[in-house]
Amino acid sequence: MKETANNKDYALLSYHHIPGVHNLEIFERAGGYETMKACFEKDPEAIKEEVKLSGLRGRGGAGFATGVKWGFFTKDRKAQKYLLCNADESEPGTFKDRYLVEKNPHILIEGMIISAWALATQKGYIYIRGEFYQQAVILERAIKEAYAKGYLGKNILGKGFDFDLYVHRGAGAYICGEETGMISSLEGKKGQPKLKPPFPAIKGYRGLPTMVNNVESLAAIPWIMKFGAAAYKQWGTEKSPGTKLFSISGDVNKPGVIEVPLSTSLKDIIEIHCGGMRNGNKLKAVIPGGSSAPVFNAEDAYTVKMDYEDVAAKGSMLGSGAIIVLDETRNMGDVLKWTLEFYHHESCGQCTPCREGTGWLESVFKRRDKGLAHKADIDLLDRTANSMRGQTICALADAAAMPTQGMIKVFRQELEAYVVAPIKK
Amino acid sequence: MSTTETFEFNAKNMTTYKEYLTRYDDVESALLPVLHLAQEQNGWLPEHVVSYISKLMNIPEIKIKGVISFYDMFYDVPVARNIVHVCTNITCSMFGGREIYQGLLTHFDTGYLTPTRDGRISLQKMECLGACELAPCMRVNNDFVGNLDLTSAIQKLEELP
Repeated sequence: MKETANNKDYALLSYHHIPGVHNLEIFERAGGYETMKACFEKDPEAIKEEVKLSGLRGRGGAGFATGVKWGFFTKDRKAQKYLLCNADESEPGTFKDRYLVEKNPHILIEGMIISAWALATQKGYIYIRGEFYQQAVILERAIKEAYAKGYLGKNILGKGFDFDLYVHRGAGAYICGEETGMISSLEGKKGQPKLKPPFPAIKGYRGLPTMVNNVESLAAIPWIMKFGAAAYKQWGTEKSPGTKLFSISGDVNKPGVIEVPLSTSLKDIIEIHCGGMRNGNKLKAVIPGGSSAPVFNAEDAYTVKMDYEDVAAKGSMLGSGAIIVLDETRNMGDVLKWTLEFYHHESCGQCTPCREGTGWLESVFKRRDKGLAHKADIDLLDRTANSMRGQTICALADAAAMPTQGMIKVFRQELEAYVVAPIKK
Repeated sequence: MSTTETFEFNAKNMTTYKEYLTRYDDVESALLPVLHLAQEQNGWLPEHVVSYISKLMNIPEIKIKGVISFYDMFYDVPVARNIVHVCTNITCSMFGGREIYQGLLTHFDTGYLTPTRDGRISLQKMECLGACELAPCMRVNNDFVGNLDLTSAIQKLEELP
């Protein structure tokens, strides 16, 4: 995968062009861990304030301001508490965190050490999805290097500050990407989400304060602390400052991960960064923020700016920044069917509206495959989706309902034709 | 399953197990890493392995079984020595991921997770593997293999020991 040349100037992939930068020595030669050392000379509260001023929004999907989330955390530096990095990256279409850590694990570790110093967490875990085995190995190796340099462990660089960091592998469950599901899983249980409040920042892992942040959010911290919040805000908009990683897949010539300022137009992402549409085909639709995000038709896709507010204004969400591009040869019935099979499979089963609802949604397509569905089933999909929203412990039910209703809104006729179409054998 | 079968961590894994315990502030939090370790040693997680872990960690067997059945990558049925995850989520399906999965099942004359008769391969249909730029892709043991078609997928798996 090739980065675009300007990535060198940005916050997250700025080391990616350096061969062997996964080695601590090479990372340091390029300026890595300097910011961490400088941060140990700073008041932790000043670090929190800088992150808050930067306007960095959580990059896992929800887009909640990282600095505000940090503000909910206890200021009692002695209290036992945890830093949990969410590397469970499972939202269909998303592969940015994998790309970030497999080439440059140290940027995440540096970000976590700075965050741990600011938040006074004594232990941290990187919860990485089970499928990312090689990436877990890369992280473990990098952590070992950081311990050897005295950047992790007891009394780091003689500052009287202790921070231990471990990799914790998941075992294949989308729901563990939800922060309370992740905490259950880390506790050695099924990855079932917990009711909020209390939020993890107050009562998380083992009932203790736990700060859960996405890989990309934590990896942005060193840059923000090096160049300052004002510099970070040179990119993006007032409400969506900074740069963002986008994972682009589907019908483009060059799928992959890019880092661009927020508010970059989706048209530029497709045409400039991804080399345009495959086979010169016409764009039909784009899923802009992972499979949970309602679909855009070509017109919206070609006019939207990829920031939190513009994507929301057009009825979808920026989510994890997973862009799935679909050309004119694609049938949206297929896409919705694949999406709903996924949510039914991944529902953790705790809440009835989700456990049953995701099954009902999928069942329309199962009937369709037997030639037993009707045009009216599209209304059934809509009603079922509607009744699932806002009724459950976590957002998985909504994550299935939103793309269903979005697809009906934009492609109703195509779906109606799809469910009654004769089945190809 | 014969009840006389026994399991215990080999010396190397016992050392690893003890190291895992030092990472967490309670024993139960080490359960996922311990199950990964046990599965690595035994191939899958039958009842006698669960029973051993239950005694070792003082966690009720039923809780361990609940955890095993919750996660797609823990196996409570026998699996082959090579595990192949075939992605059938959106982007991979756009490029024939489902046809590749079905084609592999037919070629190897097997079903979901069922080991091939030579005990070589278990095929598992999986949700998004987080490697969509490689679509259609699969994981062969711990490695991603992408930009597949059925022929290249078969060829890759036929090379497995």
